[in-house]
Amino acid sequence: MRTKYFLALTIAVLLGSGMLVFANPPAGSGSISGKITYTGTPPKMKPIDMSKEPSCAKQHATPVMTENVATGPGNALAWVVVYISAGDQASSGPSQAVRYDQKGCQYIPHVLPLQISQQLQIYNDDQTSHNIHPLAKVNSEWNKSQPPGSPPIDTKYDKAEFIPVKCNIHPWMHGYFVVLNTSHYAVSGEDGSFSIKGLPAGKYTVTAWQEQYGQQTQDVTISGSETKTANFTFKVLPY
Amino acid sequence: MSKWFATGAVRNLGSGTHTLFTCALLILAALICDCRAVSALPASKAMAIPAFARKYGLPCSACHTAWPELNNFGQVFRDNGYQLMNDRDSPIWQNPSYFPVTFRITPNWHRESTGNQPVDSIPGGGEGSNLVSRNVTQAGFDLSGMDLWSAGTLYKNISFQLLPSSDVTAVWHFESAWVRFDNIKGTPWLNVKVGRFELDNLLSEKRFLFLSANGGFYQIYHFNVPGSINDFGFGDNQIGVELMGHSVNSYTRYSISLLSSNEGGVGLTNSVTPGGNPSSRSFDGNLAFSQAFNAGSWGLERVGAFAYIGQRPTFYQTSSGSQLVGLGNEPFYRIGFAGDFYFKNLEILPLFMHGHDSAYLGNGIASNSGPLPSTSRAPSFNGGFLEAHYYVNPQLVFIGRFEKINVGQQADTGNPGSFGNVTAYSVGYRYYPIMFSRAGLAWHNEYSISKSIGIVPLSGDGTGLPPLPLPNSQNVWSSSVFIGFDFDF
Amino acid sequence: MTLKKLAVTFALGSMALVTVGATSVFAQSHVNSPDVALGTPSLESTVSHVGDLTGNAESGKRLYRRYCIGCHGPDGNGLGMNAAWIDPKPRDFTEATFKCRSTPTGTLPTDEDLFNAVTRGFVTTNMPSWRPLTPQQRADLVAFVKTWSPRWAKEKPGTPLNIPVETPITIESILHGRQLFQKLECWKCHGPQGHGDGPSANTLTDSKDNPIRPYDFSSGSRFMCGVTNQDLYRIFMTGLDGSPMPSFADVVKLDEAWDLVHFLRTLQPLKSQEADLWQTYKAAHGADIKPIGPDAAAGGQ
Repeated sequence: MRTKYFLALTIAVLLGSGMLVFANPPAGSGSISGKITYTGTPPKMKPIDMSKEPSCAKQHATPVMTENVATGPGNALAWVVVYISAGDQASSGPSQAVRYDQKGCQYIPHVLPLQISQQLQIYNDDQTSHNIHPLAKVNSEWNKSQPPGSPPIDTKYDKAEFIPVKCNIHPWMHGYFVVLNTSHYAVSGEDGSFSIKGLPAGKYTVTAWQEQYGQQTQDVTISGSETKTANFTFKVLPY
Repeated sequence: MSKWFATGAVRNLGSGTHTLFTCALLILAALICDCRAVSALPASKAMAIPAFARKYGLPCSACHTAWPELNNFGQVFRDNGYQLMNDRDSPIWQNPSYFPVTFRITPNWHRESTGNQPVDSIPGGGEGSNLVSRNVTQAGFDLSGMDLWSAGTLYKNISFQLLPSSDVTAVWHFESAWVRFDNIKGTPWLNVKVGRFELDNLLSEKRFLFLSANGGFYQIYHFNVPGSINDFGFGDNQIGVELMGHSVNSYTRYSISLLSSNEGGVGLTNSVTPGGNPSSRSFDGNLAFSQAFNAGSWGLERVGAFAYIGQRPTFYQTSSGSQLVGLGNEPFYRIGFAGDFYFKNLEILPLFMHGHDSAYLGNGIASNSGPLPSTSRAPSFNGGFLEAHYYVNPQLVFIGRFEKINVGQQADTGNPGSFGNVTAYSVGYRYYPIMFSRAGLAWHNEYSISKSIGIVPLSGDGTGLPPLPLPNSQNVWSSSVFIGFDFDF
Repeated sequence: MTLKKLAVTFALGSMALVTVGATSVFAQSHVNSPDVALGTPSLESTVSHVGDLTGNAESGKRLYRRYCIGCHGPDGNGLGMNAAWIDPKPRDFTEATFKCRSTPTGTLPTDEDLFNAVTRGFVTTNMPSWRPLTPQQRADLVAFVKTWSPRWAKEKPGTPLNIPVETPITIESILHGRQLFQKLECWKCHGPQGHGDGPSANTLTDSKDNPIRPYDFSSGSRFMCGVTNQDLYRIFMTGLDGSPMPSFADVVKLDEAWDLVHFLRTLQPLKSQEADLWQTYKAAHGADIKPIGPDAAAGGQ
């Protein structure tokens, strides 16, 4: 189970970094990297009971765990979105679509950062219907049914927001669209590490966001092609 | 009728300037009149039921312009048999602790002043004392009567109301008690009510906003030409059966009632409390109709017409002198028009009524006693009122009313033409500091004054004793000042 | 009139007027009689158009204070003083998310949609039918409701769904609708017989995480968004925003949707042509009808 989880995570991180490569405007060679860790005792993640949806349950040899506080070795926190919240130049706009999958009754990736007006394609890879219900408050909230075999849903968001995503049919499915104003962002992997590349010289405010513990910021100044380190530590509680 | 209030006493103000001053006061206060008065007559006060607000989660102002007066939304709710028709009306949807009961009472301070009252020239009435005409004034803190009101649904489309009511001395009677079969055959045009209930008056005395001794009832609803033994009050609850119908939004409403000719009395007598005269075996009928018109942003304008045709006994079947059954029924009627007009925040309520009693009834002569004396006539009267409310917001309303009744035909030609005429004014306001679905509270301020000619005012002289005769042309003024906390729970 | 009488009358009158003046000032400022907060954009610029009527928010504000504030709250966010004790919760107007619309999911409803919602009320909830208010008053309330969310200033309402003429009610239509009910997995929430007891029914929550039940067709109760076949069509094609009920507009063809409507009518205990046809068919072919459910062969005949 752990392997499968790790595999899913790696795919996601790769996808995330892949997005990074395509999303950046060509200028700038500085980067900010670091590690997200936690102090305190995190809540135990619970196994998800998918018995109500046998076509998904059988896809997982061992039950999938909840992901609201996903941890890794060395007190690492995964699924933390790190992004430039101030100091960024306006990007030329995203050219590539991003993809969100419903597979094995899970959202892959668990957290999807994307840019304003970036095309978002949502796929249903399962044998069961899902309804895709992003609970936006600043953007429009909508809710669409996506039976198996339907074409992907094409959409986009034009305001920055942290949008929880749920499926009403399968209440254990939780994900996030993190709509950002910037093209410079990354998602921490299971080892807690992240790297934001392609930054021109300048003063930046970097924000790390975790779905349960909120946001933290740091100021980082890049001059030239250097790599600056910014680590974030979240205080966690066992509940 | 006068036993409800401690006293009524009137300053003997000169009629001309007095009228002028009261007019001025009325005009000034006409912008802001809201009066709720504890009536001198046995009229129920509680017609606002926070229990409904608690049941449905609506604020009082949703159903009431200013409780207890209903707006059209509340009228439809009431016409539907206390149902919102939202498939959640059944009591099983409510928390089991919900019970449709409301209490209402108004602790207050009031001042009553009546003129031309017979008073002993020497207090104590000793040697050498004789009766002289004086003003009698009383004031002090007081309670009102209390209403314990329950209404709601027994079942889908079966509604009920039970209203035991006490006067200020805690003497109880059933103000109303009825069962109603609503929406018969699925249509709002057929509803049947059985029991003791208020007539379907467009301008309801039970749900109006006045409380004082002189202002807390409509003069014309209780007026009888002097000399008449008719005890009918248009605002009194009657006993019988009513067929009533309304359009879905209550723009059109009709009501046909068949009632016992005993003024809503119980125990087959003509009195609500035991000990009244036995009733006759006859019936009265009441017809009412109203139509509302949509006046866009002004609101709803409603006009109505009514006709009450009744009879009362003029003598009794007796046994060794004890009365058994009322006989010698003689007819009377009351007909008229009323309106309820909204101009955004201003509401105008006019009413006109013409009343007529048979000559036997009007002179208290048994109908089997042969031809009438040559001076006897069938008395009639004309009158009405013009009332205004101004709703500053749902929690503050100003009220005012002007009433006038002229006797058209006196019962006896020997009486002066103005004998029994009534003029009355009321001004006031109600402020509701909380507009809360749990309970209601209003701070009520009212000034009311009435003038009768040759008779004691309808609000009574407060003595509880039969009034001593007055010269037929004597103006008798009676005024009330009322400040109270009207609350219901 | 003597001077004394004059003085008394004057005193009474002044007392009355002073108390009146004081209380009216008090009334305006008292915290329990809140002045309804201004929405954005400004009241003056927000109007509604319903048929011939133009509603304006200024008049609507006065009406909101009388009729709506107890549940929907002085800030329009559904946190009125009674809200804690009613279920389902009153609508939060600040989010501009509405259940009963003629427009696609995620878009704003038309003024007429809001007018119809106020007029019809929502059966089985505490939202009554406000039909006793005049149409102008209801239009004014619609205009005022729109001031609670800034979305109305920037976005236009969605394009109302173009509903084709209803296809004939035949047993073929009903059977095809039954297949759709199976394929689209409506039964996951609404249950195989539409009793609202599907496998996911008891974990459903609305967009504010309050528990919510799916519609139980066997209750025969009116839909929240209307009573006609057209209303039913609109419900599943536009979805009920703010609730778990999604839009099926992207996955059902406009004509086919009528088949689903006809089938859904057979689940209700009401007299209808659809119910009669279905009963006749069941009597003749009962053994061939496979129950709806998770089996691969389910739903067919």
